[in-house]
Amino acid sequence: MKLLTHNLLSSHVRGVGPRGFPLRLQATEVRVNPVEFNPDFVARMIPKVEWAALLEAADTLHLAEVPRAPTEGYEHDEDFLRKMHHVLLEVEVLEGTLQCPESGRLFPISRGIPNMLLNDEETET
Amino acid sequence: MPALAELVLEEEKDVTEKVEYVSGKVFFTTCSDLNMLKKLKSAERLFLLIKKLFPFTASSSKGKILNEVQQLVNNDPRSWLDAISTWKNLLKLGVREELSQRDAKPPKRKMRENETIIAKKLKTEEIQKIEENHRECQLEEQTEDTLEQRDSTTRRDKLEKEEIQKEVEKAAGAHSQEDLTFRVSCRCTGTIGKVFTSQEVGRIIGIALMKQFGWKADLRNPNLEIFVHLNDIYTVAGIPMFRAPLASRTYIKTAGLRSTIAWAMASLAEIKVGTFVLDPMCGLGTILLEAAKEWPDGYYVGADVSDSQLLGAWDNLKAAGLNDKIELLKVSAIELPLPSESIDIIISDIPFGKKFKLGKDIKTILQEMERVLHVGGTIVLLLSKDHHRLLKDCGGSHMPLDSKGTHANEPGIKKCLNPEEKTDTSERVTSSYEAGNRECSDKMLPFGSLVPVECYEVSLGKTNAFICKYKKSSASGP
Repeated sequence: MKLLTHNLLSSHVRGVGPRGFPLRLQATEVRVNPVEFNPDFVARMIPKVEWAALLEAADTLHLAEVPRAPTEGYEHDEDFLRKMHHVLLEVEVLEGTLQCPESGRLFPISRGIPNMLLNDEETET
Repeated sequence: MPALAELVLEEEKDVTEKVEYVSGKVFFTTCSDLNMLKKLKSAERLFLLIKKLFPFTASSSKGKILNEVQQLVNNDPRSWLDAISTWKNLLKLGVREELSQRDAKPPKRKMRENETIIAKKLKTEEIQKIEENHRECQLEEQTEDTLEQRDSTTRRDKLEKEEIQKEVEKAAGAHSQEDLTFRVSCRCTGTIGKVFTSQEVGRIIGIALMKQFGWKADLRNPNLEIFVHLNDIYTVAGIPMFRAPLASRTYIKTAGLRSTIAWAMASLAEIKVGTFVLDPMCGLGTILLEAAKEWPDGYYVGADVSDSQLLGAWDNLKAAGLNDKIELLKVSAIELPLPSESIDIIISDIPFGKKFKLGKDIKTILQEMERVLHVGGTIVLLLSKDHHRLLKDCGGSHMPLDSKGTHANEPGIKKCLNPEEKTDTSERVTSSYEAGNRECSDKMLPFGSLVPVECYEVSLGKTNAFICKYKKSSASGP
């Protein structure tokens, strides 16, 4: 699971609503993969990023050199884009957990795949 | 299936003329070489046309029809021989291209070489090729059976090249026409299929070919494969251009959904750089693989509830080298752990069959899809006939509007954590219905903001299905 994906995930435990975001990340196994850098792609991701969530996750993983916010004119700031590229796409959580901040429910991450299935009592519908 | 004909045109834009679409086959002329044609994604198989005629009149006596079948060969042997030399040329060209690519010759030189050959071809003969959209397993030994055991795509690619080389050697090996070994694969459907079996007709053609040209039949490993299709609309004979069907991709290890359909769905979805593309029931990931291969600049997320499917998908991703482009989640499509309006594109193959009951489940899934989609986002679904009819019927009689209007009243915001959206979902369905001023097309989904854009019926072999595209509009209306 990449941090860009983590940035999207939200808990859907009953009654939690928007307080289910962001999920608290705990990682026991992390891998860094080189991924081809596409500045256009990264630039388009920036407006979609939830920064607080990203920074929280990056801190948990003790990542260095994480930009705290988009710079002015970031679309052309290659240094910034490369750093973001690294944080969002090259760091992969293979084993760990995601925790709903409101209910405390833990969702395991195994082989890079988060399991967010709920049992019947926990679901909204 | 006009849509696929259009997709073929799109793919072959610069070099296709004279396209004709008839009952699952697209007939076109082109000056592309084999390597270009090999990349066609929307077609199952590619044939070089030998003959295309009006259908045989099935009402005549059996003897008469047999005679006509024989005439297919004997009336005009020249066209058979011409087709075969074109076929040989194409294969040779294909290999030459491969070789020159491997030697990394300067591109300019390659171009010139191609140009002269193509010009010559156009002068001497018109090349017509058939494409077929249905799967027809006539080839007895599918080389992909052995290929599926291999893991790496590069190995598979290499094998494909070797296959083409083998074909050329075989073709060249038949120095004169007399040395050629062949096999006829025949398919008889429609009225004529009731009079003759495919084997009968195939045998007659085979015998006629042997008598006319002196070729030898070889059912196991012929130089040349002849494919004949007789039905109520046409009589067609052609030479298949590749061993494995085009639909069998080098980059997909185990296909779930037919890859031509998956590719067609992905192309309808309008994937651009940086779009979030979700398949909430991805299974083995076929759709995402096709999409990520062709449009590598999207961000792809696949979800499924089944461990075995996810494992299979993961294997596919690895084999295709697309692990970095496609993320997998174990989540339920009925409840997506995603904020509202966070996804740009959803492409999905809605499961057919009794496991997914018509009614509650599919509606819940659609509601979730609608919720997570951005305004202006696109959904492309593959629906069974039943699902399609259900959605048509539901939508026709009324048009529910989002009475609260909270869900989609902020079209500009990309990620909207709407505090009320969870309660909204159930309310929207039971809210009061208004006959709006808006025109209600009879295919409208029973959700205010999903507007149908296009819908195509496609064949999946034994059954038909529908590819349907929707866009999410702002529900607050015009």
